[in-house]
Amino acid sequence: MNESTNRILQVARHEYRAAVRSRALIVLLAILVVATAVSVLVGATDYAAQLAEYDAYRAAAQAQGLTRIAPSPLAVLSLLRGAFEYLEIIGAIIAITLGYLSVSRERVSRTLPLLRSRPLTGTELATGSFLGALAIFTTLVAATAAVGVVALGTIGHDWINPAQGLRLALACVAALLYLSAFYCLGAIATAKAKMPANGLVIALGIWLLVVLVLPQIGDTLDADNQLPGGLFQALGLNHDGEVAVLTHFTGYERVRTGIEEASLAKHFERFAFAMSDVKERYRPYGLSWLLNETRNDIGWLFAYAAVLFLGLRRTLTRQQPIHNGGNS
Amino acid sequence: MIGTIASQQGLLLRRQRVALVGLGTMLAVTAMAGVLGWSSHHTIVRVFDQAVRLQAAAGQPAPPNPFLLKPSLSLLSNMVVYIPLIGALLALVVGHLSMVEDQSKGMGRLLFTRQVTRTQYALGKIVASTRFLAVTLTGCGLVSLVALLVVNRTLSPSDLGRLTGFYVLSWAYLVVFVLVGMLTALLTRRRSLALLSAIGVWLVITFVVPQFTSGLRPTQSLNPLTEPVGTSQAFFRVTQHAQSLSIVEQYKTAAGTILGTSPNSPTTETVLTIVPIVTAGFVLLVLVLWRIQRHDYARSASDE
Repeated sequence: MNESTNRILQVARHEYRAAVRSRALIVLLAILVVATAVSVLVGATDYAAQLAEYDAYRAAAQAQGLTRIAPSPLAVLSLLRGAFEYLEIIGAIIAITLGYLSVSRERVSRTLPLLRSRPLTGTELATGSFLGALAIFTTLVAATAAVGVVALGTIGHDWINPAQGLRLALACVAALLYLSAFYCLGAIATAKAKMPANGLVIALGIWLLVVLVLPQIGDTLDADNQLPGGLFQALGLNHDGEVAVLTHFTGYERVRTGIEEASLAKHFERFAFAMSDVKERYRPYGLSWLLNETRNDIGWLFAYAAVLFLGLRRTLTRQQPIHNGGNS
Repeated sequence: MIGTIASQQGLLLRRQRVALVGLGTMLAVTAMAGVLGWSSHHTIVRVFDQAVRLQAAAGQPAPPNPFLLKPSLSLLSNMVVYIPLIGALLALVVGHLSMVEDQSKGMGRLLFTRQVTRTQYALGKIVASTRFLAVTLTGCGLVSLVALLVVNRTLSPSDLGRLTGFYVLSWAYLVVFVLVGMLTALLTRRRSLALLSAIGVWLVITFVVPQFTSGLRPTQSLNPLTEPVGTSQAFFRVTQHAQSLSIVEQYKTAAGTILGTSPNSPTTETVLTIVPIVTAGFVLLVLVLWRIQRHDYARSASDE
C-alpha cells in the first residue's frame, strides 16, 4: 500500500469513527431505521394475507382442473417502496448532517488547517472523507436492505430470488450515489459558510428545493392531477381520449418533465422504483431492458455525485494550512 | 418588559439574514403556488377545449364543465403542502435563532443581572417570533389575494373570510414549530445539535406519524391531491385511533375544510381538528416556560 492510499484510509477511518460517536447522527439514524422497519413490516403483513389469498385461489383452480391460471399480481420487492422513500427524504438529511459534522468538527477544533499542514493533499482529504462517509452509508443501506429482505421472507412468506436480489443491490448502489451527493453538499456548504450552522441551514434549503419542492411541482403540473379523482375521468375520457388530448400538450409536458429532471431525488426514485417493481409498467421486463430504460437517471446520479465530489475536493484544497502556528 | 424583549428580538430577526431569507422564500413560494394555480386553471381550460372537440367529432355530448368541480380557492391547495414543509422549517429556524443567539454570545448571563424574570424573557421571545410569523403570513396572504384576483377575477366576501381563516390556522400550526425550535435550543448546548433535533421532530411529525396512523407514504405528503389509502389492516385499525395526534394531518384536514377544497364537514368537526394543534402549542409553551427556569445561562452555548 503506497503512502497516499494509506493517508486516504486513515482519514476514512477517522471519519467513520467520528460519525459513529455523533449523537445527532445516531438520533437521525434511529428515526430512519424505525420508520423504515415499521413501513416494511406493515407492508409484509399485508402481503402475506394477499399471498395466502392468491395461493388459495390457485389451489382451488388447480383442484377444478383449470390449466390457465392468472399469474400473481403481487410484487414482493415493491414493498420496499417506503424504505426507498425514507432514504430519499430522511437519508438525504442524514447525509447532509454527516457532511456538516465532518467539516464543522475540524473547524471547531481548528484541526482543518492543521490537517492541511501535514503531507496530506486536498484530494486525499476529500477522498478519505468521502470514503468514510460512503462506508457509513453502505452500513446504513445494507442494514436497511437486510431488514427489508428478512421481513419479506419471514413475515411476507416470500423470499426474493437471485435476480431480484441483484436488482435490489443495484437500487442500493443508486442510494449510495444519492446519499454521497448530499454528503458533499453538506460538507461544501459548511466549509464555505462563515458560521458552520449557517452552512447547514443553506444545505437544508437546497435539500428542501431538490427533494421536496421540485418533485412536488412536477406532480402538481400533471394534467390529470388537476382535479380529485383525475381530470380525464371527470371529463369522461378513457385512456385513448387521454392520449389524444395529451398530444396537444407536448410542450407543456416537456416543461413539466424538465422540472422533474432537475431534481436528483426524482432520478433516484425513478431508478429505485424501476428496480424494485414499484411501477407496474416495469414489471414484465428484464434487467438489461430496465437499465436501458433508466440510463438517463443513472447518468444524472453519477453526474451529480461526481460534480459535487469535485466541488468538495476544490473546497478542501483551498483550505489554508497553518504555516507559522498561532490562533489565526 | 415583555414588550422590550420582544422589540429587541424583532430587531435581531430583521438583522439576521437567515430569517430574512426565510421570509423571502415564503413569499416566493406563495407566488409560485399562485403561478401553479394559474397553470392548473389554464391546463383545465385547454384540456376541456380539446375534450369538447374530441367528443363532438365522435358524436358524443360535451363533457361536464370541470370548473363546476373545482372550488374557487383550490388555487391555494399547494399552500396546504408548503406550509407544513417550508413554513414549518422556517418556524423552527426562527424559534431556534431566538434562543441560541443570546446563549452563544453570553447575553443570557448579562440579561439576567437586570430586573427581568425568565418567564418575561421567554414570553418576549415567543411574542417576537410569532409576530414575525404573523407578518410573514400576512405577506403570503396578500400575495395569495392578488393571485386569486388574477385567476378568478373576483373574490366573494365568503372567500375572503376563508382565506383569512386559512392563514390564521397556518399561523397557529407554525407557532407549534417555533416552540419546538425554542425547546430544543433550551435542551441542548450545541447549536447544531439543537437545530438537528428540531429537524428530527419535524421529520417525525411531517412524514413518519402520518405513515403510522393513516398509511400515508412519505411522498404522498407532497401532493395536494392524495388518494385514500387502504387502512383495513389490524395495524391501522389500532393506530388510526391516534390520528388526532398527527397534527400535520389535522392541519391539512382543517385547511381543506376552510378552503372548501375537501368535502364540507360540520363546523364542530373542523374545530375538533384544530384542537390537537392548539393543545400541542399549549403543551410546548408550558415546556418552554418550565425549561427556561432551569436553563443554565452561566454556561455559554457552543457556537457550532
